[in-house]
Amino acid sequence: MGAFAKLTWVELKLFTREPFAVIFTFAFPLIVLIVLINSFQPEEGGFGGFGEADPQDYYLASYVGVVIAAVGLIALPVHIATYRDRGILRRFRASSLAAWTIVGAQAIVGLLMVIASSIALIVFARVFYDAAMPESPGLVLIGFLVGTLTFLSVGVLLGIVTRNARGAQAVGMMLFFPMFLMSGAGPPRDIMSSGMRSVSDVLPLTWVVSSLQNPWLGEDMEWSNLILLGGLLAVCVVLSMRLLRRV
Amino acid sequence: MPPVIEVEHLQKRYGSFKAVKDVSFSVEQGEIFGILGPNGAGKTSTVECVQGLREPSSGSIRMLGIDAIGQRSQLRGRIGSQLQESALPDRMKVWEALDLFASFTTGGPDWKVLLEQWGLTEKAKTSFADLSGGQQQRLFIALALVNEPEVVFLDELTQGLDPGARRVAWDLIREIRARGATVVIVTHYMDEAEQLCDRLAVVSGGEIVATGRPQELIANSERGIKVRFSTQQQDLTWLESIDAVSAVSRHGDAVEVTGSGPVLALTASALVAHGIVPADLRALQPSLEDVYLDMIGSGEEADANGRVR
Repeated sequence: MGAFAKLTWVELKLFTREPFAVIFTFAFPLIVLIVLINSFQPEEGGFGGFGEADPQDYYLASYVGVVIAAVGLIALPVHIATYRDRGILRRFRASSLAAWTIVGAQAIVGLLMVIASSIALIVFARVFYDAAMPESPGLVLIGFLVGTLTFLSVGVLLGIVTRNARGAQAVGMMLFFPMFLMSGAGPPRDIMSSGMRSVSDVLPLTWVVSSLQNPWLGEDMEWSNLILLGGLLAVCVVLSMRLLRRV
Repeated sequence: MPPVIEVEHLQKRYGSFKAVKDVSFSVEQGEIFGILGPNGAGKTSTVECVQGLREPSSGSIRMLGIDAIGQRSQLRGRIGSQLQESALPDRMKVWEALDLFASFTTGGPDWKVLLEQWGLTEKAKTSFADLSGGQQQRLFIALALVNEPEVVFLDELTQGLDPGARRVAWDLIREIRARGATVVIVTHYMDEAEQLCDRLAVVSGGEIVATGRPQELIANSERGIKVRFSTQQQDLTWLESIDAVSAVSRHGDAVEVTGSGPVLALTASALVAHGIVPADLRALQPSLEDVYLDMIGSGEEADANGRVR
């Protein structure tokens, strides 16, 4: 096995040994999904805010977005900041391993975790709540990949710029919860006040949720959201590459 | 044989702060070379520049005949590092760490042999966080040796170890040298420098204030060596003509000769030549610690007599 493959494999094993990351990535979205589906189960169709969709379909699509945000905003930055903070990154660099190699391996592990957790969510919602599968799987996949890569790049940047693991956790939580509640993954956007909705409009997680939900439920993809995500991805990658040289 | 490491006029600035002002030294093949100095003297900045972990602000560094600044990628596989304040992921197991670091390099010994040699076989499946301080240090040494390096850097290796574990670490370092590697250690422990190092560079305030063998540093110190003996002979003025002698004083039969370098041997032979063979001839040397404290400028209050050797 080559060095990079071995590093990624070890990182994957380390991730599964980290209870905080595992709970946040796998259990948290699942628990909230169950709570919300059961809270908003309409007696007779047309419950406010879901449009034509049933709650389980609406929330399944948006919860894939929550998984992406949980890994990108919390698990990944905390992990990278820990490595920096404790001198683990330095130890690797002293053995000729460039910082981006390590961060790259961690981002790949993040991607695998997002995929695994999303599959778990979908299977669960399908089996227990008979949730609908995507109307346009191809477009959902595009939204999924762009959204995931963007949030992983945000996570890498947060991991580099925060002071230490505690700082990364605090910043990550502060970004995660407002985005989680206002992106449409909590209360549906249609029942938000106009002020709340204009805040929601500028949250990157809203762009991800919309890029997943619209094609999932058979509505039109809003390409402008994907373009915004692409722009954010580019900014984060460029900044991270520049800053990583100085770590 | 050219030196393994040649550092010339190294400078390292962080913003307007000069951590390393002007440092030059060389390390010979097979030496254990110590960089000794108080905290904040610029020791770690110096060795991290030499290892290519930091970009020097100016100066030149050659290692194993290669320009260590311009062509550092060619050196990485040939040096081994143990860094100050570094760690491994808490939940990484000992065998995983060795296996992983071994995969970064081609050749090198089988990591299972290192596991055995450094007494970690029983701990192979233990997580890094569950190892004792001494076991963690042994693992770091094993990791530094995983590419069979020609030069090994050990920065504050024994910090935080109990006295027993430190002695074990010293034996391990001697063993690395015995296998043919050149060793550079950074320390602020005097006993470590004296016991372990063939040569030392004393660093203070970003500059090298002295270089040499530990005994040379002591012998050449301004404190001087005091030679004491007793005799009833009154005329001893001929002692003052010896090169190494700077002063002679006496109290009754007790004579004290102050000097530097080979003062003991020269005094002894002069005494014998004059038919004086005192039974109590002895030299009082300052300790390396006294000399060191003088060098770094905080030894004013230290005991002027030093201790008996």
